[in-house]
Order: sequence, then C-alpha cells, then structure tokens
Amino acid sequence: MEFKSCFDIIGPIMVGPSSSHTAGVVSIGNFIYELLGGPPGYASITLYDSFSETHSGHGTDKALVGGMLGMRTNDSNIKSAVEFANKQGLNFDIQLQDYCPYFSHPNTVKVEAERHEYKIIAGGVSLGGGLSKIFLLNEKIVDIPISANDNVSTLVQSYTSYVKRQTSLGGSYED
Amino acid sequence: MKIESMKELLQRCEEKGKTISEVMLDMEVENSGKTRETLIDKMTARLQQMKNTIELGIQDKSSSPSGISGGDAVRVDEYVKKETILSGNYIGDAMRFSIATSESNAKMGIIVATPTAGAAGVLPGILFSLHKNDNTPFETLVEGLFTASALGYVIANRSFISGAAGGCQAEVGSATAMAAGAIVELKGGSPEQAVHAAAIALKSLLGLVCDPVAGLVEVPCIKRNVMGTSIAFSAADLSLAGVKSRIPCDEVIKAMYDIGSEMPRTLKETALGGLAATETGQQVKERMYKKKGGF
Ligand code: SF4
Repeated sequence: MEFKSCFDIIGPIMVGPSSSHTAGVVSIGNFIYELLGGPPGYASITLYDSFSETHSGHGTDKALVGGMLGMRTNDSNIKSAVEFANKQGLNFDIQLQDYCPYFSHPNTVKVEAERHEYKIIAGGVSLGGGLSKIFLLNEKIVDIPISANDNVSTLVQSYTSYVKRQTSLGGSYED
Repeated sequence: MKIESMKELLQRCEEKGKTISEVMLDMEVENSGKTRETLIDKMTARLQQMKNTIELGIQDKSSSPSGISGGDAVRVDEYVKKETILSGNYIGDAMRFSIATSESNAKMGIIVATPTAGAAGVLPGILFSLHKNDNTPFETLVEGLFTASALGYVIANRSFISGAAGGCQAEVGSATAMAAGAIVELKGGSPEQAVHAAAIALKSLLGLVCDPVAGLVEVPCIKRNVMGTSIAFSAADLSLAGVKSRIPCDEVIKAMYDIGSEMPRTLKETALGGLAATETGQQVKERMYKKKGGF
C-alpha cells in the first residue's frame, strides 16, 4: 500500500506539466536552497538521461532553478525562474549527460552549488507523483525522501554538516 | 485503517450506511489524526485551485513552450458558448474546463495532480460542469473529490496510476474511472453504482498506451483528458440507468495491471512508440532537440 492518503491521489497542488519532470525537481532544488540557507550564487547542474532529453519541454531546468531560489512546487513564478535567477544573482550552467553514474534512474540530476564560501554537491532523483529523493551529498550516497508536502527547512537540519566551507574562493558571489 | 479493494470499500459503505465519500473521510481522519474540518479545508483548497486554473486557462491563447499545444481552450469555450453543441451541456462544459486545465498544465501553470499532472484535466472538468449545470455547491463538489480519491486510492494500490508504469490507461484511465464514480455519487447514485461506473469507464480505456510526442505532456494528453470527461459522463449515465459492469471492478483493475505489465517499454512514456513515433511526432522531437536548452 504505497498510497496512504486521499491527498496522495488528489494532489499535490503543483506546477505543471509533469509530476516527475517538474514538481519533483522543484523539491530537489529546494533542498539545496534550504541546506545552504539561501539561494546559491553559482550552481553547476548536470541533467542525466530522460531529464537531459526532455528538460526544456518539461521545464526541468526552471523547476530546479526555481527550487534553488526558494520556490515551492506550487509557485507560479517557477515559469519565470530563469529571469528571477538573473535578478537574484544566481548564475548557473547546465551539462547534459546520458547516464547518471551514481543512481540508476532516468530522472536524475546532480548540482554543485556554492553560496558565499559554502559549497554542497547534491544528487537528486524524481520518482514520480511529485515524490523525490536526495541520493548523493558530496561523495556520500544518502537516502533522503522528499514529498511535495514536506517542510524542507526542517528536513535539512540533520544534513547541515555536509555543507563544506571553502578556504580559497574560486568565484565571486553576489547575493 | 486501509481499504484494499472495491469490494471492501462497498462492504464498509454498507455496514456503516455511508457514501464512499464519507467512508474515505472517516478513514483519513483515523489515519491522519486530523479533524474532519482540517481535512475538508485541505480538500477545499484543492478544489479552489482547480477553479483558479480553469479561470486562467480558459482565456489563455498563448502556446506552450514547445509550440505544440495551446489556444484550443479559447476555441472550445467560444464554440460551447455560441452553438448548440452535439454532446450536450454537461459534456460541453466539461470539455472546456478540462482543456483549460490541461493546457495550463502544459504551460507550467499550477494544477492539482488527479491522480497525476498528465490527467489533471478530467476531474476539474466534470466537477465544474456539475457546478454550472446543476448548481452543485462547492461543499458537495468537495465530497465528490473524496469519492474520487477513494476510487483512485484503491486503483493506485492494486495497479498503477502513471503512464510510465502502466500506460495511459493507468493515468487518464484511472482519472476517468474516478470521475465517473464521483459523478454517480454526486447525482445521488449508490456506492455500488459509483463503483460500476468506475469499472465501465476504466474498461473503455483499457489498453490505452502512453505515447506522448517528444515526451511532452501535450499531444495526445490534453485531448485525452477532454475525452475522459465524456466517457466519465457516459459511464455514469449507464450506471445510473441500472446497467452493471459484468466484470467486477476489482477484476477490471487487475486486468489493467496485467495489460500494463505486458505493455512494451516503447509505449510507456518513453516517447519511442505510438503517436510519438509517427512522422510528425518525430519531426516535433527533432525540432526540440535543436532547441535543446534554448527555450
Ligand atoms: S499519453 Fe502518457 S503522458 Fe500523456 S496523459 Fe497519457 S499517460 Fe500521461
């Protein structure tokens, strides 16, 4: 019995078009935002497999960036996340790769994000129905499920030790 | 507490003398520890969001980022308002509300997944059609959402509700079954009739593959949502007339599971077969590739 509640069937309230390619990805971005205590100044994004093929049509990139700006799955601004990123000083680049070396699933992403002198590498998978999971933090394989209804800011509390402080700064940050 | 089959759901309704909607709400109260009021409020927020989505979508002429959908909601809306439409008022209104919702979904609008984003147009379509044509009040429509969720809950746990797992029969098929049952209960039919309607609706969509062009939730998804609403109304009508599904609903769900399990990978959201593999479908995909990252 995977589905436990009527709200698993009617819900979540989410940005379209795809619960797996869009909504679930917002949560992954949001995890990074909460973990760093705000939007990163720079993020290097790698989209794998199915994400790399259809990300533009599903807005996977916008969903991830929106999440990293603190937007939630039901935020209508996700559509314009790239413009918001420019305004808020979040610079990002996107690489596309065929297969994710860390986790076998078509809907996977890896992000290296920096905020001021802090840095985190996070890998996430979107499992469908708005459900996702963080499977990688820095070099470590983890298993942190996130649903669209979760309070992500509470969820990240147990993982703040993963955030690394960089001694020498590589980039400049505007925030 | 959990309900594992339609049979069990109906037994529960009979024992308590309650509707499917009430049984679902009771179960949710028990499982979540929250009050009825809180849960009803939460469901009402979802209904309200459906309404907002329709209102935005029905006047939005823009096309989706891919350019392969958009603008039809306005067309259907104008047609339904002007003409005496062949399908009648209930289906006509459901068509325009569902297309407005599904087009919004394609344009990254906010929707309520019912049970998924791809099938998000069916339930709002039938609910707001009942609202318009019967003056069904909001509180009653919320009850309809609880009915639909109970049916979807049983289907989801016995089979699947996503195109990637079981084809479109699992997605639009499940949504249509949920809608058919909800219509019956909102129209005063018995729990048994609601379950028959769900079975009849699901049977008519068995075998439907998931073949979205370029992997996008647009073609054929949007129109399949619209068609789902008319199947839901027809199935509800049959059931309210006293027609029964000869195959019990639980067995229909099992058949859906078996068919979905046997369905080849090319027809389960991979965009490798069916309509996605047509000449035009392939051209759209190539265009997307060229634009990759450039939207
Ligand atoms: S074709 Fe596939 S993606 Fe489209 S609505 Fe059906 S199940 Fe969903």
